[in-house]
Amino acid sequence: MAPTCAIFPRWRRLRRFRPFPIRVAAALLAALILPACHAGSAPPIFPPGAQVLQLASLDDVPTLDPAAGYDVDSWMFEQMLFDTLIRYSDAGVDLVPDLATAWTAAPDSAVFTFHLRRDARFTNGRLVTSADFKFAIERVLDPKTRSKGMEYYRGIAGAADFAAGRAKSVAGIETPDPWTIVFRLNAPDPIFPHKLAMPFAAAVPREVVARYGEDFSRHVVGSGPFMLRQWIGGQRIVLVRNPGYFVKGAPRLDGVIEAIGVSEDLQWFRFEAGAIDLSAIPPAVFPYVVKTPRLNALTMRIVTMTTRYLGMNCRMPPFTDVRVRRALNYAVNKRKLVAVINGRGIPANGVLPPSLPGYDPTLPGYPYDPARARTLLAQAGYAHGFAATLWMPADQTMMILGQSVQQDLALVGVNLRLKPVAFAPFLEAIRQPQTVPLFFSGWEADFPDPANFLEVLLSRAQWGANNDSWFYDPRFDTLLAEAAPIANPARRYAIYREAQRIAVANAPWVFLYFPVTWEIRQPWMHGLVLNPMRPARLDRVWLSAHPPAK
Amino acid sequence: MLAYVIRRVFFGLVVLAGASVITFTIAYVAPADPAVAVAGAKADPQTLATIRRQLGLDQPLYIQYARYADRALHGDLGRSYIRREAVTDLILSRFPATAMLAISAIVLSLILGVAAGTLAAAYRGRALDNWLLVAALALLSMPVFWLGTLLLIAGGLYLRWFPLGGFDGSLSLVLPTLTLALGAAAYYSRILHASLADALDQDYVRTALGKGRSRRAAILRHAMPNAILPLVTIAGLDFAGLLSGVVLTETVFNWPGLGRLAFEAVFNLDLPLIMGTVLFSAALVVAANLIVDLLYAWLDPRIDLGGGQE
Repeated sequence: MAPTCAIFPRWRRLRRFRPFPIRVAAALLAALILPACHAGSAPPIFPPGAQVLQLASLDDVPTLDPAAGYDVDSWMFEQMLFDTLIRYSDAGVDLVPDLATAWTAAPDSAVFTFHLRRDARFTNGRLVTSADFKFAIERVLDPKTRSKGMEYYRGIAGAADFAAGRAKSVAGIETPDPWTIVFRLNAPDPIFPHKLAMPFAAAVPREVVARYGEDFSRHVVGSGPFMLRQWIGGQRIVLVRNPGYFVKGAPRLDGVIEAIGVSEDLQWFRFEAGAIDLSAIPPAVFPYVVKTPRLNALTMRIVTMTTRYLGMNCRMPPFTDVRVRRALNYAVNKRKLVAVINGRGIPANGVLPPSLPGYDPTLPGYPYDPARARTLLAQAGYAHGFAATLWMPADQTMMILGQSVQQDLALVGVNLRLKPVAFAPFLEAIRQPQTVPLFFSGWEADFPDPANFLEVLLSRAQWGANNDSWFYDPRFDTLLAEAAPIANPARRYAIYREAQRIAVANAPWVFLYFPVTWEIRQPWMHGLVLNPMRPARLDRVWLSAHPPAK
Repeated sequence: MLAYVIRRVFFGLVVLAGASVITFTIAYVAPADPAVAVAGAKADPQTLATIRRQLGLDQPLYIQYARYADRALHGDLGRSYIRREAVTDLILSRFPATAMLAISAIVLSLILGVAAGTLAAAYRGRALDNWLLVAALALLSMPVFWLGTLLLIAGGLYLRWFPLGGFDGSLSLVLPTLTLALGAAAYYSRILHASLADALDQDYVRTALGKGRSRRAAILRHAMPNAILPLVTIAGLDFAGLLSGVVLTETVFNWPGLGRLAFEAVFNLDLPLIMGTVLFSAALVVAANLIVDLLYAWLDPRIDLGGGQE
């Protein structure tokens, strides 16, 4: 007779029917796991020998809708899927034709006329016409779209009426025929063509947008070198070659697969295994890569059109005193700061990065001089220093940089308390007056013009928006207004250089460094060119024969 | 029993409503503007004002909540501000990967934890017990991102037995499962060890042994049913936590689960997605609690669920 368990009769029952729960558990497991296995199905199979570029990135692509995307990940794919009238050259920031064959600007830079090529088609087969560009920009201006690009096209005549619902279309965009589009602006804007090179202004087919509405991002139809084949959120995005792309012989790749959600470390492991063709270089392996000739030969680097700075609130004591602001500029050792990030930067001498047209190489900036910093602080009445809080986005690199600055400033008697904050509240806080005395920030160019830095970040009009240091200098603002309508680059840049000198002398920021991007490619990947301002284009990339991934 | 379940489901709904109110309030009183999250850091005040109006963010908080609750009751958790996709679709697209990892991790951790805990209790005070204690402490002390990276380097890069992260096929499940399960198994083994050791000192086990039952039978058939109850509670709640996503493990292994989705939502202040993932996680915790309670009553007849039986 089997022993019994008098205390737990149900346990006995459980034992008696043991096979049942096991079967149930197995069925449940299968029910849950099998669909999951399906969800993680392999990417579309390309034919043997196909040239498929394998990439990986940490961040998911937020959107593929050109009206919505405003980040590097979205733009990288949008420029593969869509075409603008004009775009930047592969390696530089000069404008070259995309779907436009030619364009002209009126002498006053208030009217721009573009002529389109007639052989470009969307991947649904329809010809791309001027109406598609007009529709794209009207869509961006439509408040219902909630586009981040709205502000760039407000200067078009009639844009305000359209956005306010007082007009059915933007009067300042004319399409006299399917191959011509004319933009009339409210005021001269010599840099307007640059705004048309942003992916916001890419042609989209009205009928597809109408069909999918807000889901257009998942069903994109463009005219670019690639087409969307598969996009599984958090997993991968797969593009295939557009056989009808108007540039003969491009793209050279048959497809692009990007694995999503791959950390920098994991990217490196996959790169070492030959599973991806291009990778970021994690800080931990950077010295090894640089010192290993075989790997160093495969690296690519470019000075980006970005600036990193330590903003000081010019309306909050003690930063109301220009001597204090200059003192901090002398006190921070920018070379050490760059060394902390593996040398992936250039010490800043001012606002404008060296890759930007209009850069002033003669600007001396603020060399590291703690003695001079102490003198300036003493003159300002802070001989014994002061305490301040440095706000920064909560990020590992920022913390390391913050500690470096903290050490430098301690040497001149300024005691910093580091305050890491999530990015969204950080942005909100620095936009409030009298709230954040000192903060880490940065700016990436939208288009290659000094106005995109000086006007956006330091003009009086940007108080409460992007002028987070609450800087104001009447002469500086006057120079910006003077330069804005001038189309002649030499004259324009000369005025902006003068404005920059005023800004640097007033030191609303500690000018820190200009970041340098490093990538490493596999020896079999060819034709990739890094761009200082936009994600690299892949339409001329090709792969030579290479061993399969390990 | 049925009355108990209905009562618990009702209270579960109350908990969900409470969770939604709290999350909504926290998200909206947080010192960050969702319009900036939508429009980007470079947006001007005019654009921000337009977007606030578009999203109804210029309305009083209670109206915003009422609208949200009304939509949620109709199964619409809104659209992500950043991705512009339906929140429900986003969550459901990530849930299979999360569920797969959670189930495999909890199953493996229970198998390993129960085995180790039982062995440790059976060999109490002997060398095996000490070794298992050391192993459990070592595993408990390892951060998952470190353990995960080690496993990835060893199993993926050098041995090449497993894929280097990703969500392709059953082999890709092994390393993240091990990463999650080893630490949990260590914890479970210590809990089971303690409760089993306590049960083994009870009179009914001594009685069983006195009546001639083998030590193995006394442990497995007499002590274990009693000792395993605390583990059921803890594992049940852990399972709910796993189903809600595990950010670090997902990041290390490029696993497309709910954890990273929720993390990205918080990072981007994507309010509809934050609300959706919190509500979904809360629902999972409520459901797990209910299941654990029912399981508890099933395993231990001394617990009365209000039905009055036995």
